[in-house]
Amino acid sequence: MAYQRKPEWQSLRTQPCPICCILPPHMLDKMLQGNDEHRHLALKTLRTSEQFRGRRAAVGNVSFAVSPGQKRRTIYDAKTSTSLPGVLVRGEGDPSSDDPAVNEAYDAAGATYDLYRDIYERNSIDDRGLRLDATVHYDVKYENAFWNGDQMVYGDGDDRFFNRFTISIDVIAHELTHGVIGDEADLEYKDESGALNESFADVFGTLVKQRSLQQTADQADWLIGAEQFTSKVQGIALRSLQAPGTAYDDPVLGKDPQPAHCKDFFQGNFDDGGVHINSGIPNRAFYLAAVAIGGFAWEKTGKIWYSTLKSSLQSSATFKDAANATAAVAGQLYGQDSNEQKAVQSAWQQVGVI
Amino acid sequence: MHISFERSGGITGMPVTIAIDTDSLSSDEVSQLCQLVENSGFFELPTATTEPSQPDRFQYKVIIREGDRQHTVKIGETAINNKLKPLLDWLIAAARQR
Repeated sequence: MAYQRKPEWQSLRTQPCPICCILPPHMLDKMLQGNDEHRHLALKTLRTSEQFRGRRAAVGNVSFAVSPGQKRRTIYDAKTSTSLPGVLVRGEGDPSSDDPAVNEAYDAAGATYDLYRDIYERNSIDDRGLRLDATVHYDVKYENAFWNGDQMVYGDGDDRFFNRFTISIDVIAHELTHGVIGDEADLEYKDESGALNESFADVFGTLVKQRSLQQTADQADWLIGAEQFTSKVQGIALRSLQAPGTAYDDPVLGKDPQPAHCKDFFQGNFDDGGVHINSGIPNRAFYLAAVAIGGFAWEKTGKIWYSTLKSSLQSSATFKDAANATAAVAGQLYGQDSNEQKAVQSAWQQVGVI
Repeated sequence: MHISFERSGGITGMPVTIAIDTDSLSSDEVSQLCQLVENSGFFELPTATTEPSQPDRFQYKVIIREGDRQHTVKIGETAINNKLKPLLDWLIAAARQR
């Protein structure tokens, strides 16, 4: 939405301000008091500015958090183009669409938001009430979904091997979690740190699914993307946290390459150093810890993993760093030598990390 | 012409790979493929793009040998222009039809 400048603001250009390359705080303040679109544009500008990233203190006194617990979902339709965001098709509180992709994107974003808010007290992806924007029908037969730093984007799949990429709640939650990861540990997307990035996304992806179904760790299927394949594919899911390497074995798509143990760690440049491959190892560690601890996995085990992501990992973290950090966090939350801490340590031992 | 194609990444993490020798293609396919290669300006493309990876975006590696010239392009999805995309889409379709 074009923003109308008023003559009186031109004088602000001469006033000193720490982020004067974008907008002076007074102008930001006006926008933040404006309608939802103005607020969104102001926040988006702040987030993407280099000055903002490096100088959060400069805008720390600008209050732009929405009320805690307020979802703001906005779904767009790219109509098979690659232009984002596309045509607005459903806003927060709007009735269901006739388009299942729109409703799936809307509902899964809500479930993801709810997990982070209700269980981890996190206010949206950035913990500051970020509006959850998503675009469906991106490109033609696009067999992917991604978070581009600002919004979710979903393809329709090729209809031969892949269904639409809004069909699995855990895939949607996986992508949104990449936003959370970027805001917290910001794990470098390569090698072990990249595999951890992928693993955290799978972990919270599956936790959103499990919570939506109210499944305990024993009841859950621990699969990512169980609805993603068409009936033509010889496979049950994109990945399995319980049994990495067993999700599919198809003559065209290939075999699930994930290792379940460090002895089978993939070495090479492919896939940014195997980020989607080696994530099987920390994925299985989470599964083992969750089953050993018992109950709902998003509660104790999820809290250990979330707290670790939020406070205890460098962007270059290795699997061993994650193992040590989750064990330490488990001790802080539930006591040294607690069953929870022992379960976490045992899990990482079983996959050969420690 | 020999083409080695590899796509990695994406939420699925599934590789798409194919090696093509145009001697094994029909004349129509050869014509189509050669046109796509020419339209893409492949041999003038930079060898590697330096844009940081976004999670779950596709990464491509294409090696084309034609006569005595060979060129390799490594490129992320975010850097693909609309001249290169048709060639990549053709190669993916070919890989899936094996």
